[in-house]
Amino acid sequence: MNTNNNLYTVIYTTVIVVLVAALLAFVSQSLKGKQDANEKADTISQMLTAAQLGTKAEFQKMGNAAVLAKYAEEIGQAFTVDLSGNKVADLPLDQVYSPKQLKRQNYNIKGGANKTGEPELPVFIFKDGTTVVPIYGAGLWGPVWGYIAFEKGSDTIKGAYFDHESETAGLGAKIKDDPDFQAEFAGEKADFSSANVFEIVKGGAPKDASGKSILDNKIDAITGATMTSQGLDAAIDTWLAAYAKYFQGANIPAKNKCMCGAACPCGDACECDCHCHPGQTRCECPDCPCEACRTKNMEM
Amino acid sequence: MNAKLKETILNPIFKGNPITVLVLGICSSLAVTVTLKGALVMALSVIVVTGISSLILSLLRNTIPGRVRIIVQLVVVAMMVILVDQILKSFEATYAIDKQLSVYIGLIITNCIVMGRIEAFALGNKPWPSFLDGVANGAGYGMILLIVAFFRELLGSGTLFGIDILNRFGYVPNNLVILPPFALILLGCIVWVQRSIQKDLQEK
Repeated sequence: MNTNNNLYTVIYTTVIVVLVAALLAFVSQSLKGKQDANEKADTISQMLTAAQLGTKAEFQKMGNAAVLAKYAEEIGQAFTVDLSGNKVADLPLDQVYSPKQLKRQNYNIKGGANKTGEPELPVFIFKDGTTVVPIYGAGLWGPVWGYIAFEKGSDTIKGAYFDHESETAGLGAKIKDDPDFQAEFAGEKADFSSANVFEIVKGGAPKDASGKSILDNKIDAITGATMTSQGLDAAIDTWLAAYAKYFQGANIPAKNKCMCGAACPCGDACECDCHCHPGQTRCECPDCPCEACRTKNMEM
Repeated sequence: MNAKLKETILNPIFKGNPITVLVLGICSSLAVTVTLKGALVMALSVIVVTGISSLILSLLRNTIPGRVRIIVQLVVVAMMVILVDQILKSFEATYAIDKQLSVYIGLIITNCIVMGRIEAFALGNKPWPSFLDGVANGAGYGMILLIVAFFRELLGSGTLFGIDILNRFGYVPNNLVILPPFALILLGCIVWVQRSIQKDLQEK
């Protein structure tokens, strides 16, 4: 047989490529369920790590089922909010956002040609009040994403965990691999009143006399990974700015706001029900007999 | 087993080792040898890819059009690499390690050992010896990977397969060992040892 014939060559390559493509498509489809389950458990362990409920290495040893059980035990509320901080919808408590879903929301926040709708940003509140929100953006070689946990009703960061697709091992990959970098976030405060909510500073964040980072909204960038640090910084700014209204309106207790589910600020004397604005945690007592409560509501 | 087949299997392990003698696959051996577990998974993946790709292409060898043979080889090797990657991603035990190895599993396709053995051996030999040649070359590569990873994990993290060995004695892990340059130094030392044993490799 003449294998150098043009027709033979074309048919041969076509057949082999189609066969290989069909095989790969079949394998990919049949393994998708398992891969998604692994990805979900991984995402949940990232959120738990950000909320300081354990370390990533511990969760890895626990296995998928135990991670899901731990999450079911800890999670209190999950819902989505829009850019004005109002609640859009409740999320099932076992639902998390995959990096792909975060990517879609990232387009929605940024607008432009890829926008598919108004942003619906997930908020996860654990039973101890820790609020976890995701971030997503572009690193140097590919996407970076992660989770930032805030203390109960506060703009103080409790912890953070970041992941990436293809940042340089040993440099940019440190956003994921270096626990010291992630630990820098703990205790820092996000500045929701500015567009620059959080800064990762090249050349070093301001330090106090003992050389510790001052607990403002600035931390040190990673040496040798300027582009990844900048990308992460932009991702955090974009996402936290999108959440700013939610945090300003709800999570940070100003003087006259009560937490959702708590009694009216005026206490026992007030007999009305406390209603919560959707997505917010301030209470509303329009018919409250208590003078203080009505005044407070008007101030809001 | 005849002598020729034995030679096919034993040669790549030591005398014609793909890393230390042919100096192929250096890049990935610097990247994936930080932990023994990563090196082991990488070694097994490469063994599977080289073995099965060699087998498939040896079966096809008389039908492949000469002008597009490299493309056909690439298609088969790429298919094997994607299959290995997909399977690693599907199991709980290997998902984390696949994430850690990230692009390097996909980059097995660029590992010169795979294409090199197919061009040099599988296209000119029967399926069974080709399969053995692929597996043996993968094993030779994997062996060096494991030796390098043994020293890097022991000295760089104080552990072996994640189990604490040195840290309990107050050992402070050496960060240089974790970085790729140290792997190159180690590889150099292995080549040195091999050349002093195997005098015929030394240039006059």
